[in-house]
Amino acid sequence: MKLLHVSLWLSLSISLVSGQDSRTYTIGMSQCNLGEPWRVQMNADIRRAAAEHPELTVVFKDAQNDNLRQRAHIEEFIRAGVDAILVSPKEAAPLTGVVRDAYRKGIPVIVIDRRVLGEDYTSFIGADNRKIGRALGKWLVQRLGGRGMIVELKGLMTSTPGQDRHSGFREGIKGSELEVIFEADMKWLEPNARKEMESALARFSRIDAVYAHNDPAAHGAWLAARAAGREKEMLFVGVDGLPHEGQVYVRQGILAASFEYPTGGKEAVETVLRVLRGEKVPKEITLPSRVFTRENVEKGGDVLE
Amino acid sequence: MASVPERWRDLRRRLPGTAQAGLALAVVLIVGAFFHAEGSFFEWGTHRDMLRQMSVYGILACGMTLVIIAGGIDLSVGSILALCAVLFSLGVIHWGWPAWLAAGMALGAGGLCGAVSGTAIARFRVQPFIATLAMMVFARGVAKLVSGGQKISTAIQGSDGSYEYVPTPASFEMLNARIFGDNVAIVTIVFLTCAVVCWFILSRTLLGRRLYAIGGNEEAAWLSGMPVKSTKVLAYGLSGLLCAVAGICQAGQELQGDPEAGVAYELTAIAMVVIGGTTLRGGEGSVGLTVIGVLIIGYLEKILSINAVGEETRLMLTGVIIMIAVMFARK
Repeated sequence: MKLLHVSLWLSLSISLVSGQDSRTYTIGMSQCNLGEPWRVQMNADIRRAAAEHPELTVVFKDAQNDNLRQRAHIEEFIRAGVDAILVSPKEAAPLTGVVRDAYRKGIPVIVIDRRVLGEDYTSFIGADNRKIGRALGKWLVQRLGGRGMIVELKGLMTSTPGQDRHSGFREGIKGSELEVIFEADMKWLEPNARKEMESALARFSRIDAVYAHNDPAAHGAWLAARAAGREKEMLFVGVDGLPHEGQVYVRQGILAASFEYPTGGKEAVETVLRVLRGEKVPKEITLPSRVFTRENVEKGGDVLE
Repeated sequence: MASVPERWRDLRRRLPGTAQAGLALAVVLIVGAFFHAEGSFFEWGTHRDMLRQMSVYGILACGMTLVIIAGGIDLSVGSILALCAVLFSLGVIHWGWPAWLAAGMALGAGGLCGAVSGTAIARFRVQPFIATLAMMVFARGVAKLVSGGQKISTAIQGSDGSYEYVPTPASFEMLNARIFGDNVAIVTIVFLTCAVVCWFILSRTLLGRRLYAIGGNEEAAWLSGMPVKSTKVLAYGLSGLLCAVAGICQAGQELQGDPEAGVAYELTAIAMVVIGGTTLRGGEGSVGLTVIGVLIIGYLEKILSINAVGEETRLMLTGVIIMIAVMFARK
């Protein structure tokens, strides 16, 4: 009799527990490429955020910078019947159709960092490169007391982040006496940045600051200046602020500042959970960005207004 | 009476290969003298920096020369470079190994990758293009795996996410330094040493003669009793070994091992070999020509860079000048 009692309790508690766990969700994450550390970090942020919710399983796919492969990955997610899709598209136009298909089939789609065309997605999460460039420009104006000779090492100028980080910066320094004396396209790559910086150093005997569109390029520029024995006479400022890159360079005293370009990975997981719970989410989420300097990096940077 | 183009061809045919490549280099240098960017081109520092920038490519190009002369091609050099850069950095920075041991591990890995490609090509008759393409993808994967997808730097992340900072190892600082009164980068010395070793192999050893013979006519080489298979494995193995040397130099200069390093470096290395005048058909060419090819591309990039030429113009001009240089160097 007692045995029956116990077993009844056992089965009841098991069913209760499994009842709680019965609703698990599979989420497909399509990343356009994992060649960039920033995107590796985005996936890591998603993985970490999802790990806190045992009901979530995330399947990652890497499109290796190929629009058509990314399209195929999303089609696979649709066929597999995932509960939600996260996508950081390579390009807008080639991926708009497949994102629309998923969305119209009732699968929530969260688009991260780069956009798709039209309105057929659940939510877009991204940061504003132009705003970051502008804030960086203003910060540099203040830091240099309104005047100085600047070297700008640009990211790929055929990409929107490169264009926005450039034009935002120019807006930020407008009206000051900061002058860009040398600019070059380093295509986001550190060895290129070092090479271009060496040319800038050969040509100009006075440089007050180097603005690089990403942190590895700022690091490359610092290496060039150090080889010339001139790293102390100028400031190095970069963008991205990844924990293992920009923030580390700031801590080591290599960069004067790194402006964060948040990945949105954590926010994407939070947004997906809200959608799956049936809550309404905003169509567009603009991520706040932080600036890391030597003074504030240990306490996690300051949020840009 | 011969027409002008014919006479021009005739003139070039009479020049030895080195003189032809040298002529192309001279053209590039004259362009530099015209567009000297406020005199920057006439300072030794500009040339010293150019040589440093080209050294890693140059080391790859030396290995590529051996392979191309033997009638092959090696597309895997950039990926093997990244793998070896990561391994060297892991050994020295993260595991605290002495530099010679970490370098030995990197050289072993590089040589092994090359030998595997070589075996696939020589023993299993896979086309060099395909075998080394497979190795290019595979080695990149291994580089990402062992590094965890992150740069191996002096900031070491613990399991709790916090960072521990170690000082930059002396071996990295040494590789990034300059000698002879600050006038020549260490990596440039490494490059020139590799070039001399490869020149010696090609022109003074039995192995070198076999590489030319196999590249010229593989069947004839085989019929005359040459060990064709093992020679080919050796050629790719040597290329892999030089990739490791390049990888160690790359890590030293970046003060970190980047698993994404070396993307598309194989194209630059092949371009350097071909612009020098070594043909893709195999059986002819030399390391001396490759060194001239390295200088042509190096000066070209440097001249465009010190003049801060825009990216679009740079790409177009590079294309045009490569074409002109090859037409000069062509027999």
